[in-house]
Amino acid sequence: MATALRRAGHLVLRFSRGPCSPFMRRAGVAIILAFMALAPFVLHSYGIVILTNALLYIILALGLNIVVGYAGLLDLGYAAFFAVGAYTVGILTLNFTVDFWLTLPVAVFNAALAGVIIGGPTLRLRSDYLAIVTLGFGEIVRLCARNLSITGKATGLTGIEQPWIFGWHIDTPRDFYYVFCVLTVMAVIVSTRLAKSRLGRAWLYVRHDEDVAEAMGINRTTVKLQAYVIGAIFASIGGAFFAVNLGAISPQSFSFSQSVIILMAVILGGMGKIPGVILGALIVILGPELLRDIGQLRLLVFAIGLLAIMLFRPGGIWPGRI
Amino acid sequence: MRKGWSEFTKKFLIAAVAALAPCSVAWADDSILIGVQVPQTGSSAVRGFSMANAAAIAAQEINAEGGVLGRKIKMMIADAACDPQAAVNAASKLAARHDVVGVIGGYCSGATLPTLKVYGRADIPFVITASNSTKLIPANPGNAVMINSTGDAHAAKVVKFLKKKRAHTLAIVNEGDAFSQDLGDLTAKDWKQEGNDVVAFETVNKGEQDYSAIVTMIKSAKPDAVWWTAYYADGALLIRQLRQAGYRGIIVVCDGSISDKLFDIAGGAAEGVFGISAPIAELLPKAAQFVRTYKAKYKSAPGSFAALTYDGMQLMAWAIDKAGSTDPDAIIKALASVNGQEWLTGPIVFTKDKTLARSNFIVVEGKGGHWVSVGE
Amino acid sequence: MILSDIIAQQLVNGLVLGSVYALAALGYTMIFGVIKLLNFAHGDIYMVGGFVGFMILSAISSLVGEGWIGIFCAMFLSMLAVGCFGVLIERLAYHPMLSAPRLSILITALAVSLVLQNAVLALTGGEHTAFRTDLGFDGVELGTLFITYNQIILVASAAALMIALEVFVAHTRYGRAMRAVAVDKDMCRLMGINVETIIGVTFFIGSALAAAAGTMAGAYYGSIWYFMGFLIGIKAFTAAVIGGIGSIPGAMLGGLMLGLLEAFGTQIPGIGSEWKDVFSFSVLILVLVFKPTGILGKSEQERM
Repeated sequence: MATALRRAGHLVLRFSRGPCSPFMRRAGVAIILAFMALAPFVLHSYGIVILTNALLYIILALGLNIVVGYAGLLDLGYAAFFAVGAYTVGILTLNFTVDFWLTLPVAVFNAALAGVIIGGPTLRLRSDYLAIVTLGFGEIVRLCARNLSITGKATGLTGIEQPWIFGWHIDTPRDFYYVFCVLTVMAVIVSTRLAKSRLGRAWLYVRHDEDVAEAMGINRTTVKLQAYVIGAIFASIGGAFFAVNLGAISPQSFSFSQSVIILMAVILGGMGKIPGVILGALIVILGPELLRDIGQLRLLVFAIGLLAIMLFRPGGIWPGRI
Repeated sequence: MRKGWSEFTKKFLIAAVAALAPCSVAWADDSILIGVQVPQTGSSAVRGFSMANAAAIAAQEINAEGGVLGRKIKMMIADAACDPQAAVNAASKLAARHDVVGVIGGYCSGATLPTLKVYGRADIPFVITASNSTKLIPANPGNAVMINSTGDAHAAKVVKFLKKKRAHTLAIVNEGDAFSQDLGDLTAKDWKQEGNDVVAFETVNKGEQDYSAIVTMIKSAKPDAVWWTAYYADGALLIRQLRQAGYRGIIVVCDGSISDKLFDIAGGAAEGVFGISAPIAELLPKAAQFVRTYKAKYKSAPGSFAALTYDGMQLMAWAIDKAGSTDPDAIIKALASVNGQEWLTGPIVFTKDKTLARSNFIVVEGKGGHWVSVGE
Repeated sequence: MILSDIIAQQLVNGLVLGSVYALAALGYTMIFGVIKLLNFAHGDIYMVGGFVGFMILSAISSLVGEGWIGIFCAMFLSMLAVGCFGVLIERLAYHPMLSAPRLSILITALAVSLVLQNAVLALTGGEHTAFRTDLGFDGVELGTLFITYNQIILVASAAALMIALEVFVAHTRYGRAMRAVAVDKDMCRLMGINVETIIGVTFFIGSALAAAAGTMAGAYYGSIWYFMGFLIGIKAFTAAVIGGIGSIPGAMLGGLMLGLLEAFGTQIPGIGSEWKDVFSFSVLILVLVFKPTGILGKSEQERM
């Protein structure tokens, strides 16, 4: 009896130190996937909408994690890439009646282009200057969206049509929930692969010491640009599906505050490691929703909670190995 | 400490699931649930509070007279926070409840726009009491009615007013958001159609206090009138700076700027400023009792959209009664057919677009720190 | 108005705006200098300073009136109070985070900013508060150029504060210590300088300057609002970086430059005022492309 208890105790301790064995890891992933698949039958439409929103932010946070967490580039204007994806889809489907699935490659291409344009000037800059340049670009993109007629000016674009795929019309909250589930899983897989790849290691070295990395033969320009481009692609795909989900987009959703929220999600959970980033996104989105019933003070309560988390868990709640 | 994160994470996730799980607890009593979609957080919160208060007064009065279909009205406030995504979240929460019979409200047009689809899909009647951007009209799935005159009427009113004042050159200043920009564009179009000149069309950022550069530009363009299409907080500063710099022409502000706060902030500079206003309670002959009740209960003046929101609640209740049931299609049909009733803000009749058939805008002037009516 | 007068008028407008930006940017740059933190809460210190100044003025207006004398009294008291408040924030929120990853302290600053904003939101209900003053609107007329006395006083006060700061930094022991801490903290500890005290002094001065800007701007423009710090924060950050973050003359220059850019950016022929901020940011980005450490920033030499 005593040995059984001790064994159980050991197991609990081992498990709470984080799933170590491949079996436990796979079991954990399977449980999560099962929950995600069954969620729409357990929750009603409000819950599905919120979860879909959370999934979107997980994708965005994973993308920003590549720029900030992997490559160490403090990007304060990430919402710009989000906007590029959303507006590309909106403009092409509304003004040129292009089928949604054909607009996706264009959105990805535009985002990659934006990544190069925005990343380019920052290559020589130290992190704080990089921050302000990315902030500046973020604002420039938002203001262009607000001022140009092709983006609908301040009202934005409305009446964006929901896409069809193989005869299935994706238009209910549940449909979009499943689409975002698939996207999130893809994002997680890509992020994980990237972290373990040669590029991921190159980012690690550049993040720690650019000059040493250069001395080791890593071309920091290429590596940094790749981080921006890949991060931008994540955001633009998120933006594309965001546009068709909401059916209407406006410059309000692409402000500096939005970039800050995504950054908070990355850092709060513990940047660098994927589970941490996912947790951060969930907190940032679900937190204010959970507190909705408190009424007007909910944002204050949320902010105090945020501050408390940072003070007690400075590395983020679930930090990756540095 | 490592165990700490797993504890926290577990608790957080449990709380999340619990919050998102279907509410198995319906209202135990037999009330009729009406949603009120207004901003409760963020910079438009003040408007949202006054609209929610007005709705509460209406609900209270209706319940005192026996309620609707013999049942009491219960209000549920959804915080749209003047942000499209937040509004969709709030609307989804309302729409997910099977006992919501109707929704009233809607202040920021940009936030109200995507919620039309949410209510449309859930087949919930929506009485929009403040949002009036013309972009809402094509996006209406058919279950929403707008009881505040739209931007077209707004622009037409100011153009007519300025024509009467013999103005020929106009400077338009907006704040770069959906409503004010749309109104600015509509006015510019109408103004030019009359053969007049728009000598300046400027955009300022919300909350930036220094408009001196714009003021200098406007002064050098010498317009007969300046038309401010945005809200009172920044409008007050613009008026102050315009007058300080020596601009002596006509200044007109739109319905978003109609508030006593304008005089607080602008001080004496706001004397003689004109406004195109939604029907504000203090100037409506039938609303004297409502104003008294509001002031007694909430110790402050009702905002400019309070009367409209009061009417919105009354209209919803009337429509439910006329429909004889909580069936959404019957209620929507009743709403669309309203004609001949007495409302605080005047007659309500809808066009086939479900917008107000007449313009309910009035012209007001700032005198002695208050708005006084200058007639139609 | 003739063109030269328009240009002169915009110059004046830009100077007034730039003075406020410069004061706010100074705190930003000083705090960055000593602890390498981009203090996102700095704009909200400006906002709190405005509110505190307003409350003090309301309290003492019967004694000192509501003209510039009253405003200055309120401003000094606000500077003291908010300076201490800034030190308090540093002790409570930033000091424990100094050994944490850099990005974490950034988010902490963001969290502090959110707390301040939402606290004031809860207290004021989101309403703008009218900052009532007794300022006349007379001024000097030179042709069609009109400069009000208020503008002159505002710019002069800001300049006075900035000169006082320069004197402090260049000629006093604390000032020298601040500059030393900004260069190498650990060395300073070895030399016997109490680094924690110096950081506290830096926060005090930075917050006091922001409070001065907030009170003056509140009084000059006539209203204060819980969200005004957010916008000023971005501008102050931009200004500090254009000038070279960590450099005090840089922040002053950056602030003035930004003010002028915004004033003239409103009036570019052919481009409407809705592009003003695009113009400002574009200039900023160009400056940084050619001078990656800002106009007056020192190029960093990394010792291997």
